[in-house]
Amino acid sequence: MAIDTRGEAADRPSKSSGETVKKQRTSPALFYRQIVAELRKVIWPTRKDLISYTTVVLVFVLIMVGLVAGIDFLLTQGVLAVFGGA
Amino acid sequence: MLTAITRAFRTPDLRNKLLFTLGIIVLFRLGSVLPTPGVNTVNVQQCLKEAQAGDAANIYGMVQLFSGGALLKLSVFALGIMPYITSSIILQLLTVVIPRLEALKKEGQSGTAKITQYTRYLTIGLAVLQSTAFVALARTGQLFPNCRQPLLVNNDVFTVVTMVVVMTAGTSVIMWLGELVTDRGVGNGMSILIFTQVIAVFPSELLNIFRQNAFTFVIVMLVGVFMIAAVVFVEQAQRRVPVQYAKRMVGRRMYGGTSTYIPLKVNQAGIIPVIFASSLLYLPQLLVSLFGNSENPGPIVQWLAQNFVRGDHPVYMVTFFVLIIFFTYFYVSITFNPVEVADNMKKYGGFIPGIRPGRPTAEYLNYVLMRLTAPGSLYLGLISMVPIIALVVAGASQNFPFGGTSILIMVGVGLDTVKQIESQLQQRNYEGFLK
Repeated sequence: MAIDTRGEAADRPSKSSGETVKKQRTSPALFYRQIVAELRKVIWPTRKDLISYTTVVLVFVLIMVGLVAGIDFLLTQGVLAVFGGA
Repeated sequence: MLTAITRAFRTPDLRNKLLFTLGIIVLFRLGSVLPTPGVNTVNVQQCLKEAQAGDAANIYGMVQLFSGGALLKLSVFALGIMPYITSSIILQLLTVVIPRLEALKKEGQSGTAKITQYTRYLTIGLAVLQSTAFVALARTGQLFPNCRQPLLVNNDVFTVVTMVVVMTAGTSVIMWLGELVTDRGVGNGMSILIFTQVIAVFPSELLNIFRQNAFTFVIVMLVGVFMIAAVVFVEQAQRRVPVQYAKRMVGRRMYGGTSTYIPLKVNQAGIIPVIFASSLLYLPQLLVSLFGNSENPGPIVQWLAQNFVRGDHPVYMVTFFVLIIFFTYFYVSITFNPVEVADNMKKYGGFIPGIRPGRPTAEYLNYVLMRLTAPGSLYLGLISMVPIIALVVAGASQNFPFGGTSILIMVGVGLDTVKQIESQLQQRNYEGFLK
């Protein structure tokens, strides 16, 4: 018996019993309850985390938007200057 | 915050990476503005202005979003990163279907390289198709139906072929730029480029809203900030599956005995499902724009034109939602392999308390992941839907710049990139600290 608690030998019996269990499909109601149970175990970000991450993302996005807008503006001007007169 | 930025630029390694990425972005934008040879730039600019101001603005919204405004400018990078994304989706889907590709994937590194190669070939194929379509549209003047000026300098075959070749070449350059960013820059190249495309259309759209109504502008901004916070909230949520490592002696030393956890995010798939779903739904629009204007469009094209071109049609919304849920499960199942994780844990003497190592562990991980992905996929679907639903309810038909897709892309890429910069910064500073 002691050998069975480890390695492949332990897996094999559970395989055969697992298959019989697996044949039954989870009913939607049970699935829903399981989802709720898992969601309860989820660690949600704290208010402090949420605020700091949101500001970081906002600042990052704003910087990038500004940068890309600036680049675009300059490039468009340049393209118009080169190709516009033709 | 500001000190972190200066510190990031003071570490030479990270500074190089950041500047490299920024340089790639500049190049990418340059290609998106640079007109293809054979295009009459003045006429295109004029038509573009008319189209953006007119009623047709919202028809072009989606097209603009997915090409970073490059498509309607008929620029060298007109097709944007879309062909590459589409072809990588197709190959990932095919990996499940075609046994040969599956064998390649299992082969490891060399197989993955082979698949990447196929992805590139397919990208070129798609690029040829799309660029031909758009050049044809531009030539016949259907790209801007309301604008009657010639978009091309002349209409002979040589010009058209040159344009198709240039656009296809542009697409392969984009592909290369993306891979360069992944290799030598910050973040994932494909995500960074699509992020750039999304934010490139932002200022002009916001400006449009501001001009129409300042009050709406404020509301849009508030809703946008709220949605960003909501996305951050869910993206940061983790289910921590505890893992206990057994103590073991190797030689005279004691290893392990620590307890850690496997972080499973509620939305383990990230933003990829949304990108996949929306780029797949972009295909019907492409088809319609190709064949929809001909004298006698077939019944399929007509049906597509009725149901899939406008983003607020019920059929479109339902398809979008279902596709997102499908792709979320699909992507989680190809990126997280419970059997592999369980095997690794077994190898290093780790186990989840109360569950046997090996197969039961893999089954447990799979169980948790499937339960978590359900709300995760619903969240992705809902966030992508919210703006569309809000538009229908409010009866406002103008283009909402904080479309769920763009918010998800912005926040997802933003979080990833910031985190990556931070972890590299920590690495650097800890090193300096210890010395």
